[in-house]
Amino acid sequence: MGNQEIWVYVEINNLMVEPTSFQLITKAKQIANGRKVVALIAEPKMSHLESDIKEYGPDEIRILRDERFRGANDEELADALFQVVKRNTPNAIIFPATVRGRSVAPRLQAKLQTGLTADCLDIYYDGDNLVQVKPTYGDGVMCNIICPDKRPQMVTVRPNIFEAKVDRTIKPKIQAAEFEFHEDARSEVEAEEPVDHTSTDLTNAKVIIALGRGAYSEKNVELARQLAEKLGGKVGVSRPLTDKPEFTHSDQIGQSGTTVSPDLLINLGISGAVQYTVGVEKAKKVISVNTNRDAPIFDLSDYGYVGDAGAFLEAMLGNLE
Amino acid sequence: MKIIVCVKQVPENDSVKIDPKTNDMVRTGAQGVMNPFDRNAIETALELKEKNGGQVILLIMGPDSFTEVLRDGLAMGADSAYLLSSKEFGGADTLATAYTLVAGIKKIGKPDVILFGRQSEDADTGQVGPIVAEDLNIPQATFATKVETISATTLEVDRDLESSIQKVEIKLPAEITVRSEINFPRYETPINIVKSFDKPLTIWNEKDLNVDPDKIGKKGSQTIVTKVYAPKKETKQVKFLSKKAGDAAKTIINELDL
Repeated sequence: MGNQEIWVYVEINNLMVEPTSFQLITKAKQIANGRKVVALIAEPKMSHLESDIKEYGPDEIRILRDERFRGANDEELADALFQVVKRNTPNAIIFPATVRGRSVAPRLQAKLQTGLTADCLDIYYDGDNLVQVKPTYGDGVMCNIICPDKRPQMVTVRPNIFEAKVDRTIKPKIQAAEFEFHEDARSEVEAEEPVDHTSTDLTNAKVIIALGRGAYSEKNVELARQLAEKLGGKVGVSRPLTDKPEFTHSDQIGQSGTTVSPDLLINLGISGAVQYTVGVEKAKKVISVNTNRDAPIFDLSDYGYVGDAGAFLEAMLGNLE
Repeated sequence: MKIIVCVKQVPENDSVKIDPKTNDMVRTGAQGVMNPFDRNAIETALELKEKNGGQVILLIMGPDSFTEVLRDGLAMGADSAYLLSSKEFGGADTLATAYTLVAGIKKIGKPDVILFGRQSEDADTGQVGPIVAEDLNIPQATFATKVETISATTLEVDRDLESSIQKVEIKLPAEITVRSEINFPRYETPINIVKSFDKPLTIWNEKDLNVDPDKIGKKGSQTIVTKVYAPKKETKQVKFLSKKAGDAAKTIINELDL
């Protein structure tokens, strides 16, 4: 039932490796326990991202190379990966739970008729089974999932849960994967424009001011933005505020939003529901402001201010000058 | 344009918790609601129908009580609804769910467009749409923020890939998964609520669908949940600041060297 290889799907985004893939190579190496870690990449001819992947020390880099991967659709990508998996069934395939990963992995799963667990927060081996840990039913429920009878075991793993570590002690073997590119004209990528998410790119922000329902007002949004600017940070929100005109889903922190790992997180009017807190576990210093002294968010905070978020923001802005 | 929207019922926010002592799942709010993202999918379907004519059909898998969610969707303006309901469907993972939905879609008759919300709020997988697309061998456009009609057989879809926006021209039949940013779902008006009770709502079980019993429900699922538990929380020792905002701010700025 499959060989003893763990494959990590390396995603390309704007001609670069999407950083989650590096994190997953490191994680795969940590849990491998003798299994071979293979980084799998589908790239166009002149792209040589294997030189970046090498730094993280997978045992092998397997390359599907074809010019048409530039602008390939989900169907073409899933078809190419399927051919490679069929030739040499791995024990597990790990995808980043990015938009692309979440789109291609289930198509590949359907071709393979195996299990796929989406959006895992942790993975580890129990014997030959990959234990897949993910939150479910919103507030406060985690579950462990396995796929005992089929290989490969498939998961998508949330970005920024694991740290990518450079490992130059291993010289990965670089191999070409055998496959044929089958064009599928039913869907054509006409254009792809990078979007400037610098205003909202929470994933890599070092400072985050997070607003919750309890602190929402037009004025507080403005003050939070000023403070974020002053501290070189970004403003994020908990789920209820994604319905407000100032914010969208890409501003959301937490289970159905972004996982963040800032050096400094300032929570304003956020009570601390698990859907939110699973997304901020990696924050280093945490300051929370809430009118309710018993709010659960204070259990996860280094500093607590019981009072009005607006007053707190104004005081911070005033004293930083 | 024949449009099928696959919807799901989810527990109301915060209604499911784990008893920290027994590790049992406790459901407080018994009433489920329509997965909020699915309302965006229904809205997209209704807009496509307004532009191109045709019909909007809702499809759900679950117990008989899920007819309530279908009534909601019919009250938004969908034309008909199908519920796939059987004990045999229970315990399905995404693979078995998609297999069952595909059987329903085939029996309804092949649509031009199949729509899904980007993900369900409870299990948060977002996988079922692409699996259905693969099982039906049709193309997909996931995480859509815009859907425009080019012709009776072609749509143009903007996909938000987080760091880029991709424009895709897709030939029908196709599967589309929509993001919540795509639109503001319409409200159910009183008149549409009244009308919804006259709209056809069909319930099918595994016999009606003529499915392979080994591919549905728990039996058709490749994944097994081995443990359900409350997550461990690492707590910190919080230092409460002065109630005077100015003093609080000064302390933080000093101690954190901001």
